[in-house]
Amino acid sequence: MQKYILRRILIGIPVFFAITVIIFGLIEIAPGDITDYFIRPELNMTDEAKDEIRIRFGLDQPVTVRYGNWLLNVLRGDLGYRYTNGQPVGATIIQRLSATTLLAGTALAIGATIGVALGVFTALRQYSAWDFLLTGASFLGISIPSFVAGIIILFIFSINLGWFPAGGMRPVDREPTLLTTIHHLVLPALVLSLAPIANFMRYTRFSMLEVIRADYVRTARGQGLRDRRITWRHSFPNALLPVITLLGLSLPSLVVGAVFTETIFSWPGMGTLYLEAVNGRDVPLLMGMNLVIALVVLGANLLTDLAYGLADPRIRYD
Amino acid sequence: MQLVKKFLVLALIVVLALPMMVGMAQDGASGTLIGAFDIGPGGAPGVIPYMDSAGRTWLSKIWSPLVSWNADISALEPQLATSWSSNDDNTVWTFNLREGVLWHDGEPFTAEDVVFSLNLAINPDAATNFPGFSQLSRDSVKEVRAVDEMTVEFDLNSPNPRLPYNLILMWILPQHALADLNPADYQTSDWFFTEAIGTGPFMHEEFQRDQFWAVVANPTYWRGAPKLERLINRYFADETSAILALEAGEIHFSYASGDVALGFEGNADYQLFSGPSGVTNYMIFNERDPRFADIRVRQAFLYAIDRQAITETVLNGTAQVVPCIGAFPTMYPPAEDLNDYAYNPDMARQLLAESGADFSQPVEVVTYYDSQFHSDALAAMQAFLADVGVTITPIKQDVPTYNSYFYTGDGWTISYRGVGAGLANFPFPFYEVGGQPTTDGAPLDGTSYPELLDMIAQARVEADPAAYAGLIADICRFQNENATEGYMWTAIRFGVASSKLQDFYWFPGPGGGPYEDHAELWSVAG
Repeated sequence: MQKYILRRILIGIPVFFAITVIIFGLIEIAPGDITDYFIRPELNMTDEAKDEIRIRFGLDQPVTVRYGNWLLNVLRGDLGYRYTNGQPVGATIIQRLSATTLLAGTALAIGATIGVALGVFTALRQYSAWDFLLTGASFLGISIPSFVAGIIILFIFSINLGWFPAGGMRPVDREPTLLTTIHHLVLPALVLSLAPIANFMRYTRFSMLEVIRADYVRTARGQGLRDRRITWRHSFPNALLPVITLLGLSLPSLVVGAVFTETIFSWPGMGTLYLEAVNGRDVPLLMGMNLVIALVVLGANLLTDLAYGLADPRIRYD
Repeated sequence: MQLVKKFLVLALIVVLALPMMVGMAQDGASGTLIGAFDIGPGGAPGVIPYMDSAGRTWLSKIWSPLVSWNADISALEPQLATSWSSNDDNTVWTFNLREGVLWHDGEPFTAEDVVFSLNLAINPDAATNFPGFSQLSRDSVKEVRAVDEMTVEFDLNSPNPRLPYNLILMWILPQHALADLNPADYQTSDWFFTEAIGTGPFMHEEFQRDQFWAVVANPTYWRGAPKLERLINRYFADETSAILALEAGEIHFSYASGDVALGFEGNADYQLFSGPSGVTNYMIFNERDPRFADIRVRQAFLYAIDRQAITETVLNGTAQVVPCIGAFPTMYPPAEDLNDYAYNPDMARQLLAESGADFSQPVEVVTYYDSQFHSDALAAMQAFLADVGVTITPIKQDVPTYNSYFYTGDGWTISYRGVGAGLANFPFPFYEVGGQPTTDGAPLDGTSYPELLDMIAQARVEADPAAYAGLIADICRFQNENATEGYMWTAIRFGVASSKLQDFYWFPGPGGGPYEDHAELWSVAG
């Protein structure tokens, strides 16, 4: 197992390096740079001022030099400063990452819990009214854009009922507490969990339907075991493999953030930060964020593979 | 399964009980005003002085300049300076400063603070955006000196009859607090978000990046202590979120685009603020394309588009047609001197036919605008031009992409854009067709009009206000007659506030002003 982990990490290093080169290259060939961001089309900026900005950010140097400098600083643990407001990239990412992890993590937890439960529920009642109803609802959950769901939910629960705040992560007129944080978290997490609930439900239902028709389940039933024991002891663990895959694939979204949900709910997370970085051609921030995202994707893939081994004793890595 | 059921029921109960446990007291405190002051064209969340291409409505709550705009940005308003005068050739300007002004930490404001602020703003090591915005730099300013404690002199390298206008964006910063700041660290300093000492009506309390900025009343403000206890600027990623928060009663104010604002009209729970954006929207024709070097083609575009109908119906009356690049009627000559280019598709077809220009292929119109206002306007323009046989294809680009092409003068034929065009920010390079140089020094749209450039050169140094206004009108007349560009309209911009607010004032000044809004008088009815 340790050898396997070490091998995967070593393979990840060149992959990681290649990702940074590709992203730096893509940013380089994209039209516009930070100078173009600073020019307000409705105002003006002299050529001298534009040149000063280019020199300030080292954009007068060749791309290889700029990439080399960035990489050297990263190896020293310094992600640099944002072009657009001079704030340290590392601290900015940590702050935004914690907000996104809270939101996306909650949504994923809700999605996995409710989705898996509903998946088992519908699989055990195939072709029943509940099955049709929930399967139909899952299509809605997958299809409805989060900005539409967000506005509808805000309109009902915030504007009409006044139960939940219309956005933000904390009250602005007093110190935040655990309760106020949960209060602000409910609506965006609910919106963000709609798609995961539907996805987990569909994967679990499909997987459970396959398992409960397997010979060993029929044998267990023939031996007179109780339904509850057959479902939870023999069927459910074996139906979990596809769910683990889905869970692993969902982990990077904890870092990438959910642009539309964060925007509608003014949640200061990674999704909106990424948009800011792209719109501002904020290279240090873009590179820093992509670096974190790449690490999480690589890590999530590794964790998923390891989780297979835990869930299925037949899988061995040594 | 039973366990899951129990857990879900419990979770549901907790969630539904949360509103009662937490309370929804965000706008409950009558002494606290919460606004989305950085939504819309005048906003820039978390911006600092001298880097502020926008966001000045908020900055003016903490810091003050020597002079600002007045309430409707039609004239200057004294702030930390009480009066000013220049020598005969406008190369030396003297500003008399307001007595008795205190910084938020109790230190007295003096002329040394003004000297320190300008030197910092134009210091190349600080690399601020101030020289770009104000046209003031180490090349144009010979020296700024304190004559005495309450008098400061600006010694310029060349005549500038409108220096006070250039100083509107020069926020005065406290020398005693920032003297040790290395100019090279100016933009990365935390000072602006942790201490932020100013002379404005409110004092810094708490800044949470990307969430809010809270300030409290400055009891020593020179106009008198504010009535509000606290003022909070809440950050929203977009207008929809801010409007939803306004409707939910969580905030008291937000910018609103025209179509949204009109939905609040007549609603007693809200008060509407509106004013000219000061931004003229127009099609800039790239005359490197020989078709647009022909005046008949440019005029045909103006005759083909029913600008009046678009502003009245498509834009719901939230824009006014302009005859030239000026955004305000005070910049226009008498109406009888102007061609109104009233909608006349037959005339447009005739002019196009006479010019012989080939419009069998679509023409791309690039823009950086992504609002519904401009999408609707472009769609209407597209329909009107199609009627006279010209197909245009609007292309939306983000601002950096747009700028990277636009300022080279190549790669575009028509650009639909806007420019801040007020009386006082003249002479602005965009007034000069072709006067704005491209990155290689050529005229931006491929041509220039010597007669127009001559008028602009005169206006640049004209000190007499009446003669200056006359030159501005002459420039407008020339632009209108020659259809130098496809001048369209200037938008009206809106703010929506809760009717709980008393003596509140907001104006859509470009970049947020700064303008005089008497924030010390604002209050919230209980």
